Amino acid sequence: MGTEGETKRVLVADDSDTVTTVLVTALELEGYKVETAGNGIEAYEKGLTGDYDLVILDQLMPGLLGLEIIDRWKQEGRQISTIMLSGVDDDRTVVESFESGAVDFIRKPFRIPELLARVRQRLQA
Amino acid sequence: MNGTTIGVIAVVVVLIVDVVLLLGLVTMKAVNRRRAQSYKLRRAAYVATLSRRLTSRAASEPIEARAAADDAFLDAVIDMRNIVTGEEIETLAGIVDGLGLARRQEARLRSRFPLGRRLRAAVSLAEIGDETTATVLIEHLSDREPEIRVQCARGLGRMQHTAAIDAILERLGLEEPWVRARFADTLVGFGAKATWPLVAYIRVNLRHHDNDGVVEAIRVLGVIGDREVGPTLAGVLRVASDPEVRIATIEALGVVGGPLAIGPLKATFRSTDWRLRAKSATSLAHIGDPSVNSLLARGLEDANWWVRRNSAAGLASLPGGADLLLDAVSSDDQFARDAAAEALADCGALAAARERQEAGLTNAEDRLLLAHMSGQVLT
Repeated sequence: MGTEGETKRVLVADDSDTVTTVLVTALELEGYKVETAGNGIEAYEKGLTGDYDLVILDQLMPGLLGLEIIDRWKQEGRQISTIMLSGVDDDRTVVESFESGAVDFIRKPFRIPELLARVRQRLQA
Repeated sequence: MNGTTIGVIAVVVVLIVDVVLLLGLVTMKAVNRRRAQSYKLRRAAYVATLSRRLTSRAASEPIEARAAADDAFLDAVIDMRNIVTGEEIETLAGIVDGLGLARRQEARLRSRFPLGRRLRAAVSLAEIGDETTATVLIEHLSDREPEIRVQCARGLGRMQHTAAIDAILERLGLEEPWVRARFADTLVGFGAKATWPLVAYIRVNLRHHDNDGVVEAIRVLGVIGDREVGPTLAGVLRVASDPEVRIATIEALGVVGGPLAIGPLKATFRSTDWRLRAKSATSLAHIGDPSVNSLLARGLEDANWWVRRNSAAGLASLPGGADLLLDAVSSDDQFARDAAAEALADCGALAAARERQEAGLTNAEDRLLLAHMSGQVLT
């Protein structure tokens, strides 16, 4: 995991190019180093091999669901700070996300300043 | 020229034509691929530019006026609108307004051809349109193309333009079923704001026998669920003679009628039309008042399978209803026994009886139910 003073590294995993571009643009403007994954398998593999301070993970992705990815990371002994992002607005998904170990849950559509504030808070914690 | 030469020339000509066609096809595919790639790149660039605009108020990166004519920009705006909210939507609306994007789409929608471009304009306006666009969308609720009509209604619903409710209702009885269903979805989206226009529409058209539109309007009222329309629907049930209208009304009364609807529904439960009896059984149960239990228990012996089934399912959902179903399992009427046992299986009572059987804890009702399900008859 990146250390204090270094540029924080964020992985954005979403199968929507538009969501990814919006998040990458906003996060890079904040000064973070951002990488992307376009499906569940890629997100899972990057999480295993990469050194991210934070992952923003879409729940519904082809290949693997966001919650499945967190579970698999846990099985592999990886504890990655993860913010779940989802257009599915049911309480069950929110609860399951937190139970799986996600540190935050953001619903789509989202407000960019709010999302950035949550990311900032997590990366300062 | 002999036959062989003519044959050779013909083969050569055919080969040349084939090669030309093949080259044409390959060129077209390459051009289309390049166009698609260029479109994708432009769209991504627009999304990035718009993202910078939305992220940083200080970003002054201009959006060129020619973007307004680019479908890639339009798609980028529409996609962005679906993933951000709050002030960002207002910022996007300002950009759309500044570039005259909606006006351009309005002009495309008003043009006669081509259909693809007009449809795209309707879809775009449904997404990015605002109050100033409402007039053109209302105008095209009677467009010659059904999908354009649907998109215009959707757009008016998205912007919650309540003045459009009557215009959509005017079309309800004229449309083919799939368009009518999409219009109904839009009306549902207006929620309680559509309630009284729907009531007015039903009152007027019930007398003119516009049954398709009236049936759809009643269904919409049931989905919206505004309980204030219960007495109106009970009145419709009293005067309407068309079975489809009556069935839709009975269904809606189950949702919005409350206890006051029990009387009219009890009356339709005695109808000679089995469809009305079956629907009434479901609606009576839906109201949730166990005072109808004995009536539904009589429904288990109805001559029609659907009435028996719905009565049994209704009893299974009502307090005290399961006891009546268990009584019916030992009824003399084989059809009543079957309907009751099926409902008890559906509501989990059979599974519970089996669990108790495995634990050696069965009671008399369990034994009766289990015996019935295994084909035996206990008396």
